[in-house]
Amino acid sequence: MITEKELDFVRRALETARNAGASHARATLSKSEEDLVATLDGEVDRVTHCADRSLSIALFADGRFGSFSTNKLDPASLEAFIAKAVETVRQVAPDPFRALPDPARCCHDALTGDELGLVDPAREALTPDERQQLALSASVHASSPGSRPDYQIVSEEGEYSDSIYETVVMDTNGTCCLHRETSFDYGVEITIESDGEKYSGYWWDASSHLTGLDAPACGREALERAVAQIGSQPAPSGRYTAVIDAERASKLVSPLLRALSAYSIQQNNSFLMDSVGRQLFPEGLTLVDLPRIPGQTCSKYFDSEGVATQDATVIGAGVVKQYFVNTYMANKMQIAPNVEDATRPKVLPWPCPGLDCAAILRRCGSGILVTDFNGGNSNPVTGDFSYGIEGFLFEDGRIVRPVSGMLMTGNFLDLWSRLLAAGDDARPCQTKLIPTLAFAEVDFSG
Amino acid sequence: MKRLDHFGVTEEQLRALVAEGLRSGGDWCDLYFEDTAYHDLLLRDGEVASGGYHVDYGCGIRVLKGEKTGYAYAESTDFPSLLQAAKAAGAIACTTSSPSGQNDTTKKTGGWLPLNGAAEYYTERLPWEEAETAPFVAFLKRIEAGIRARDSRTLKVVAILSYSVSDVLMYNSLGELTADHRPLGSISVQVIFRQGDKTENNNVSRSLRTGAELIDDEVLEDLVGRAVEGIDARFEARRPKGGQMPVVMGAGASGILLHEAMGHAFEADFNRKGQSIFSDKMGRRVARKGINILDDGTLPRSRGACNYDDEGVPGQKTYMVTDGVLTSYLHDRISAGFYGVAPTGNGRRESFRYNPIPRMRATYMESGNDGTKEDLIASVTKGIYVDQFANGQVKIGEGDFTFFVKSGYLIEGGRLTMPVKDINIIGNGPQALADIKAVAGDLKVDEGTWTCGKEQSVAVSCGIPSVLIGNLTVGGE
Repeated sequence: MITEKELDFVRRALETARNAGASHARATLSKSEEDLVATLDGEVDRVTHCADRSLSIALFADGRFGSFSTNKLDPASLEAFIAKAVETVRQVAPDPFRALPDPARCCHDALTGDELGLVDPAREALTPDERQQLALSASVHASSPGSRPDYQIVSEEGEYSDSIYETVVMDTNGTCCLHRETSFDYGVEITIESDGEKYSGYWWDASSHLTGLDAPACGREALERAVAQIGSQPAPSGRYTAVIDAERASKLVSPLLRALSAYSIQQNNSFLMDSVGRQLFPEGLTLVDLPRIPGQTCSKYFDSEGVATQDATVIGAGVVKQYFVNTYMANKMQIAPNVEDATRPKVLPWPCPGLDCAAILRRCGSGILVTDFNGGNSNPVTGDFSYGIEGFLFEDGRIVRPVSGMLMTGNFLDLWSRLLAAGDDARPCQTKLIPTLAFAEVDFSG
Repeated sequence: MKRLDHFGVTEEQLRALVAEGLRSGGDWCDLYFEDTAYHDLLLRDGEVASGGYHVDYGCGIRVLKGEKTGYAYAESTDFPSLLQAAKAAGAIACTTSSPSGQNDTTKKTGGWLPLNGAAEYYTERLPWEEAETAPFVAFLKRIEAGIRARDSRTLKVVAILSYSVSDVLMYNSLGELTADHRPLGSISVQVIFRQGDKTENNNVSRSLRTGAELIDDEVLEDLVGRAVEGIDARFEARRPKGGQMPVVMGAGASGILLHEAMGHAFEADFNRKGQSIFSDKMGRRVARKGINILDDGTLPRSRGACNYDDEGVPGQKTYMVTDGVLTSYLHDRISAGFYGVAPTGNGRRESFRYNPIPRMRATYMESGNDGTKEDLIASVTKGIYVDQFANGQVKIGEGDFTFFVKSGYLIEGGRLTMPVKDINIIGNGPQALADIKAVAGDLKVDEGTWTCGKEQSVAVSCGIPSVLIGNLTVGGE
């Protein structure tokens, strides 16, 4: 836990910055501890223990700005570090738009850091033996599923970890806000061999509370995913209905969020220029940010500037409602600030609540279900994208055969204009709550 | 020794830490001290109005028991903190049934290897820490001015100069003590162009293990020239019709093919665990005769250069494919012990916070004898030529790799015709390697800011001569 002594340390860092010549400063102390047990084929393979503590400081001096960080936190090193930081700031050009956020916009209700109920005291009580048992009990090897005649397991790599992350943001305007969060994570990759070909499947789970982690289910799901890919081949090139399962659908939403960043807009590095207030997406797309849900992983009361987060509609019924605008960009673009980025974005169900992947496949009839992406990228300026994919061909709402070695290519604005459905099945362990999505007439190459 | 003083430790303390790490029965222990200072300057909207300075300091301690790893680190190098980390790492020995000595990591790699006695693959004529900032600011402004002077369609320029210096000290249970001083300078430039109502972008970079002498007119001219090169074509470019077709990959950045399609699959940890598609192909033909593929830590000034890797193994050049036959994986000490071979100097890590694993350095193919790039293009009736890339990825078990093409051309009747951009290409590693039809004699190692993201971020490089691959799947409409 961030102690009173550490809070004093951050205050002293701000004071030192002012004494060194900074007019304003923001200091962020981040502290984390993680224990990890990696397993290979049902045996402990690696055990690590990490403890980190670092100070980031944003300095405003003589109308100039710089950002700095160090993990050498003894008083002499810190003083020398800040002196060098101020010296660095003085060598760059003045920038009249750099400023701390208005204190009225800053977070005033993150006093203990645990307001969202994201800290599980069970972590502190875990012993090394218990961690190993958690990791080993999740292993498919431990549950002895055996191998079917048509495949054998080549390897199973699992990784269990638990961690606590704490941060405090303070500035010379008096802002002080704290956040604390524990996390329990398990991920496993299983590789199988069938007819001389290898196939892999990955699955993971995470929760801020130990009881919320279902590690054993991960091994079963990873194995099922690998086995389901046996015999996969590309489907013929053509236009298909594309269903993107909830595990991977954020790949199609993240570029929208990046394009709505004021940084991108100000630099003309966005395919969503001048988009606020415009109906650029179909009515079925509503994207909201819900940063303050208690008990939900990655919920947070404030952004990196210490500005209070709040629920927001980013895209409402297809109309772009806002950019993400921090203090600097607000001053530079002469627009109203809000927050730096989305904290916990969510795509709302459409056209009706309650749809999961199976229901969406039934509604779509036939097409390609994408269960994994393999590389690819998008052009931030045009919105053109091209991704490698694997998944399944489906007909009459049912899986027909696995496909791999294919590419899905298009343009985001065009893709989203063909939205058929948004499910209601986002996994709460994900930072972005993006459900299964379906789109009509998507180009696939195979 | 100067490096010991830098981290405030003595040889006696190093021995005591190793002894503590091994106390519970481990059979290997190594220490990795690191002090990294990272600086950056950002030009945006015509001014260098933002700068940064970041310090990362600490020591990672690894204990091996057979092939099992215990790892911990301390962000302070006072002896009690280090002792606690050694104890935490040593706990691995209590958690595993692996018999001691099952993995022979105990091969000496050269005894005491102080910095001055090692090969030196970096140059630092003008140490970054001694350089003035003002010329850096002027350099970034000259980049923007040069770009705007060459292309009036320039709308925005962002240029970033970043440089870091890492001092590293390594010690292991064989008593080997090594030190390294690693400079790395990088310049990245992003340009947005506007033509009528269309907008396009281009990104170029240059990154070398040198001192501040990196900032010179040759680098400036190179960056400015490449930033505006091919912009006409980019405005004209369209998506091709997707599907399978021959692909000519231009010399240099196309080395991403080797990195994704082959290099990762040759990393020995994937093979030791049986996961790689190449895990049963050692000694077998994987490409046609005459093809040699290397991973090289000895290229002077390269991002992938290593005087030592992060396990204290001297930098070296490793032939993975020799005359078409798979001859070596890329090893760290664990996999080398498992396979009973010498480490190849590929044990690398992002920082002291991570344990080393097999990683590439500068991966490239030697020049061939199949003529020129133009000859390769002329031999294709209908296909695609590609020469600029953004990123790539591979599925190790399946061997399916992809890379994202920023620019290229259709080939029709042996000639470059319609420009193409922003397409992904997918193939299968062993099939693509076996399907290399021709290799030109124009090897070029790219000097962009390539960073490999296998679990940890590590600076690498890649290169290739122009090659013709018989069949890959190209994304399109």
